[in-house]
Amino acid sequence: MNKRVLLFAGLLAALLLTIIAATAIGTASVPPAVTLQIVLAKLGWPGGPEGLAEIPRSTVSIIWNLRLPRVILGALVGASLALAGVTYQGMLRNPLADPFTIGVSSGAAAGATFALFFRQVYQLNFPHMIPLFAFIGALMAMFFVYNLAKIGGQVPVVTLLLAGVVISSFLSAVISLLMVLAGENMQGIFFWLSGGLMMRSWPQLWFVGPYLAVGSVILYAYARDLNILLLGEEAALHLGVQVDSTKKILLVTASLVTAAAVAVSGMIGFVGLIIPHAVRIVTGPDHRVLLPASALVGAVFLIWADVVARTVMAPQEIPVGIITAFVGAPFFIYLLRKKKTEIRL
Amino acid sequence: MEISVKQLSFKYGETAVLDSTTFSLGEGVFTGIIGPNGSGKTTLLKLISRVLKPSGGSIYLDGRELASFSQKELARRMAVVTQDGDAGYLFTVEEIVLMGRAPFLGRFQSETMEDREIVRQVMEMTGCTHLRERRLSELSGGERQRVMIARALAQEPKVLLLDEPTNHLDIGYQQEILDLVKRLSVTHGVTVVAVLHDLNLAAYYCQMLLLLNNGKIFASGSPAEVLTDKNIGNVYRTHVLVTPHPVLGTPTVSLLPVTKDNVVAEPEKKRVHVLAGGGSGGEMLRDLRDAGYTVTVGVLNVGDSDWEAARAMGISVVAEAPFSGISEQRHDENLAMIRQADAVVLAEAPLGNGNIRNLEAAGFAVDLGKSLFILEENPDRNRDFTGGEGLRLLGVLRTRGSIVNEKARLYRALAEQFSLCDTFD
Repeated sequence: MNKRVLLFAGLLAALLLTIIAATAIGTASVPPAVTLQIVLAKLGWPGGPEGLAEIPRSTVSIIWNLRLPRVILGALVGASLALAGVTYQGMLRNPLADPFTIGVSSGAAAGATFALFFRQVYQLNFPHMIPLFAFIGALMAMFFVYNLAKIGGQVPVVTLLLAGVVISSFLSAVISLLMVLAGENMQGIFFWLSGGLMMRSWPQLWFVGPYLAVGSVILYAYARDLNILLLGEEAALHLGVQVDSTKKILLVTASLVTAAAVAVSGMIGFVGLIIPHAVRIVTGPDHRVLLPASALVGAVFLIWADVVARTVMAPQEIPVGIITAFVGAPFFIYLLRKKKTEIRL
Repeated sequence: MEISVKQLSFKYGETAVLDSTTFSLGEGVFTGIIGPNGSGKTTLLKLISRVLKPSGGSIYLDGRELASFSQKELARRMAVVTQDGDAGYLFTVEEIVLMGRAPFLGRFQSETMEDREIVRQVMEMTGCTHLRERRLSELSGGERQRVMIARALAQEPKVLLLDEPTNHLDIGYQQEILDLVKRLSVTHGVTVVAVLHDLNLAAYYCQMLLLLNNGKIFASGSPAEVLTDKNIGNVYRTHVLVTPHPVLGTPTVSLLPVTKDNVVAEPEKKRVHVLAGGGSGGEMLRDLRDAGYTVTVGVLNVGDSDWEAARAMGISVVAEAPFSGISEQRHDENLAMIRQADAVVLAEAPLGNGNIRNLEAAGFAVDLGKSLFILEENPDRNRDFTGGEGLRLLGVLRTRGSIVNEKARLYRALAEQFSLCDTFD
């Protein structure tokens, strides 16, 4: 028990320090202390506003309107993808499942591309249009991949990956087609797809936040069921888990969280795959620890990946998905090469 | 809890796996489901555990229809141990057993001290305490099986269903686990239903047996009623002998060599005559018969274990009345069989005044020019109870026949001799 408290205290501290440090880092250098001062003042810390008087307005604006929302958005997206990854892996009892490999991310991206296409070509627009389309795309992709991969009630690793690859390539083709059809308006889609966290600010944050909040409460409520599902579906029935409805709830919730993250950040791969595995090595397989710990680690990881993305070739920015792929692809290969017995859940 | 099953059917596609089955199992009764592969045993267990939905009929627990229980309500009353505990490898044993308490916990509730105490007790009962911190992946098959049973017991079930619970266990753990399950049924009134492959374990532990065949109950009742030569022979298409357990008197099932009634008569089949008695010949009779010889045996007393063996295998035997010496008449019959034989084997039987004429018969075989094989696997053991006469006769025979010191060698020698004859003929 004490170990758990220590773990979460450590992770929370790491997240707060990361947020402050990552907000301070950038082309216009702002000392962490000043950053902290600005953030606290804006949050209404007692005696704050007077402190802001000495700091140039442009600095306050950079910190508060550009960097901080971007950093927090990175945290939310990282947490969302990691949570979804843990859920898919546990629910499918498959160590290689993550939003990306099973095609849910691609589905969300295709859905979002449709939304952008309709918006830019036909001026069709309504609130929450991109996330709604992303969500429908994610669910449809999930449905197809899962049913393609299922052999006699089971979802073997190989068929799941194959189905994920097939659906993903198909959806890439759909996205490319839409971009061609969009003609001059293609720029917008392309910019969104290569995504990352560029030019994102408070509105995106308010959008993805609620999905993550509701989603993580639901997923945490099912943590024990996820543990029991790892023993096999029949065993789960015998331990009182309503397997079918539980799986549906988990599937829809994880896809919703993924879709929201993809809708604001585009395609960011591998976070949902590598974070759960790395955390599982430390915490063990209990989802009551694994879910929140993965969310925190995912948040910290994506914030730093984004820091690298915007500083390493500054002023040129790299999409953060490239950074996560550079870290994630070798890890993925490492997982595949390891003996099968060692990548059990 | 009482389980009653009414008109239960299950179809897999068009094939009926279970056909209109009706029975009821009383509270605290340990019932065994037996039957050949594919007879529907596991299907029946999965129907009772509600993993499968029946195509027809229904199941009641204490009069309440099984389908009306919520999944959690059911898990608080019924625990199941299946064979496929092949996941959840990274959990520790204690975490796995604690999952047995899940049906009693709310969604955000964590385990209480009471839950932990129950888990401690069941781990001790199943001998898992020392494995507490180990991960499932580090355990042997037998240890894993005990963990699964501990988890089931942590549910404090009123009904315990087991699918071949002793599958991966050695005989010591088989006994330990079944003793434990039996004790639960006797002391806690847990209704136990177990699919068992081993008929002797089933007879030893169960108060009631259901013998399934082709999706139907072939026989049900006490082990003594169900486990009869006839039932087993019919259902498993085999040949068994059911005798009372030497200590408890419960039925025990022994395999008997298969009688090959339908073997085509081969005119050139070689005949081997065996002189045996006192259990020295049974195994050899079986082996020779299985090797394709026409086997005869003599002179044996009725009731002798070799006589039982010969009778069970349908081997021609010259039999004398119990506890009597070999009469002139039986001796002549014995000699007649030797005349027809291509080879004679003298088994390592105890020698007494009653059967000493079997040694004379052996000498007669050599006189006729038959090859005589004398089996002596334990030459140092004293088996002469005639005060020297037997040994003297045996000594003479030893100079005239071939001595073989193990059965395998005897079989080779016989095979060689007959194949040589074939080439020269």
